[in-house]
Amino acid sequence: MTIAASQHRTQNPLERRYALLGVLLIAPTVLILCAVIVYPLISAIYLSLFSIYTPTLKGSWVGLDNYVQVFGSSGFWSALGTTVTWTVGTLFLQIVFGVAMALLLNQNILFRSLARSLVLFPYFVSTVVAVLIWRWLFNDLYGILSHLLIQFGVVDMPVDWLGKMPNAMASVIFVGAWKFFPFVVIAVLARLQTIPEQLYEAATIDGAGVFGRFFDVTLPQLKDVLTIVILLRTIWDFKEFDLIYLLTGGGPVNNTRTLPLIVYQQAFGLNQMGVAATYAVAMMLVMLAFMLIYLYRARRQSP
Amino acid sequence: MVTVTFDKVRKAFGATVAIPGLDLAIASGEFVSLLGPSGCGKTTTLRMLAGLEQPTAGEIRIGERTVNNLAPSERDIAMVFQSYALYPHMSVRENIAYPLKKRGVPKADRPAMVQAAADLLQLGPLLDRKPRQLSGGQQQRVALGRALVREPKVFLLDEPLSNLDAKLRAHMRAELIELHRRLGKTMVYVTHDQLEAMTMSTRIAVMQGGVLQQFAMPGEIYHRPANTFVAGFIGTPSMTLADGEIAMDQGRPVLKLGTLSLELPSDHLSDRPDGTRRVTVAVRPEDIIIGTGSFRANVRLVEPTGHESIVLVNAGDVGFTVRVAGDTVLKAGETIPLDLRRERIHVFDRETGRRLNADRAAATADSVRSRA
Repeated sequence: MTIAASQHRTQNPLERRYALLGVLLIAPTVLILCAVIVYPLISAIYLSLFSIYTPTLKGSWVGLDNYVQVFGSSGFWSALGTTVTWTVGTLFLQIVFGVAMALLLNQNILFRSLARSLVLFPYFVSTVVAVLIWRWLFNDLYGILSHLLIQFGVVDMPVDWLGKMPNAMASVIFVGAWKFFPFVVIAVLARLQTIPEQLYEAATIDGAGVFGRFFDVTLPQLKDVLTIVILLRTIWDFKEFDLIYLLTGGGPVNNTRTLPLIVYQQAFGLNQMGVAATYAVAMMLVMLAFMLIYLYRARRQSP
Repeated sequence: MVTVTFDKVRKAFGATVAIPGLDLAIASGEFVSLLGPSGCGKTTTLRMLAGLEQPTAGEIRIGERTVNNLAPSERDIAMVFQSYALYPHMSVRENIAYPLKKRGVPKADRPAMVQAAADLLQLGPLLDRKPRQLSGGQQQRVALGRALVREPKVFLLDEPLSNLDAKLRAHMRAELIELHRRLGKTMVYVTHDQLEAMTMSTRIAVMQGGVLQQFAMPGEIYHRPANTFVAGFIGTPSMTLADGEIAMDQGRPVLKLGTLSLELPSDHLSDRPDGTRRVTVAVRPEDIIIGTGSFRANVRLVEPTGHESIVLVNAGDVGFTVRVAGDTVLKAGETIPLDLRRERIHVFDRETGRRLNADRAAATADSVRSRA
């Protein structure tokens, strides 16, 4: 019955014309996606099986030697640890600041629409510009942060924000949070505005205080959007390169060197494209786990 | 027991005065409807009673206690919202138990109380469902359950039936009346639907423009509207409202309505000043008789609804709305005899809108209701 029906459908000339049109319309997208996603992906896996000198892109087949080398090196594991520290740290601050700011901007405060626009500023400003300004603020000779701390008597000596641990990691995490928390604000604020006011009024009458209303009404309503935001931001923070590279360059002594920085160093510093590709593939495997969670959740919510 | 009193309550939103000054005394155990068109201040009144709005001036009392400065949770009230406002992530059981939890009722006591509320509203089989898995009527009952589980002194209901379809609304109306009879609690019910107000209330407070127009039993409101607003607002189809004049002729009031002239009973008005008086007259569709009488009327439109028909006629330059039995055969354009039940004609002062009838025997028409 179904076979007969589908045959009937393909034989219908009008249906066939629509099908052809559909293929034509979708073809450009498929081609572009193949060119910019599928090809680089396969290419990276392919490169990871070779020992390649970056300037010439020439090299020899080494099989899985690169993987043995990468997974056997302490550099990879410590960079993975650094990446996790950075991701968890900055994400935590992004969520806390982002939700708090969204709650504030959802209130009837003075100049609300102005504040709503201003809060997006860090997200829109170019990373290079933002990091240069932060480096300036952090500078231990003429940076305003150390200056103010000395002024208020918190410290006696200028603080070395970027050249010492754990200061460097804390600074990177903080600047990351500053740069990316507006994304959380946008997503959470949009959701907050759809929570019916009557739910809060009902909770008030039922005896819930400020915290009761937050934990029993607001937070459960934010659960879905926060899950998606955390997943997306985890993936994006995990692969963050320019902010860290420009702020500390991975230093001091590789203490803020995350996986994307190693990939860059291997490819263009040490000119070992094969090993760089191996690191990239390893990174992709970690992120794949998050992708699968995201896809699983997205699929579960759609029907 | 629990009375609810509004004492010179005023509410302004910035420069906009929503309620200029409200005096309303609700007796214990009453089911009072606040009825009026949108923007009449009925919801604001209810929200002030709930504590969701602060009155600008005046005093609100629940029982003997002034509640102006009490938080909503301290007023011992429960409210049912138009949208039901069920917590979407909680099951029916958790929704009903929530006010108990927030008020520190011991955990061990809660299941029995939830069960009792659920039994009363036949929610037993639904206790483990989430609100989105329920129909509108079921959600409505859960909202009621959450309101009554902790036995508040006063129930506030904000248009709780307006999101339901017509059939379910009629059913829930009956359930609410039944619930009020069984609980015997004071209930304040906001609605713009006069049918709900008429069928459910012990008394109706008709509001317009933030001002209480009339506060009386449904029959009284229907049969003795206090002013032209109430006369025009209550009743479907509306009363015919027409401007006319009353002159005294040998001690008997004579009403001139367009080119119609009719003599009213001598005791029809509460006073009988000399000279001509400018009035507004209101006549219920069922108080106009077609087929007999000395007036000639021209049929403009017939609207059959089944068991009755609504007929629009012109008589002496006045357009009347008439209710006739569904089997009456009438055609547009036809000229027919028409009469008015003189003793049922409502007369209002044209300037103040105030009722001028003497209202003696009409009281017999009132059905006094008590469910206590």
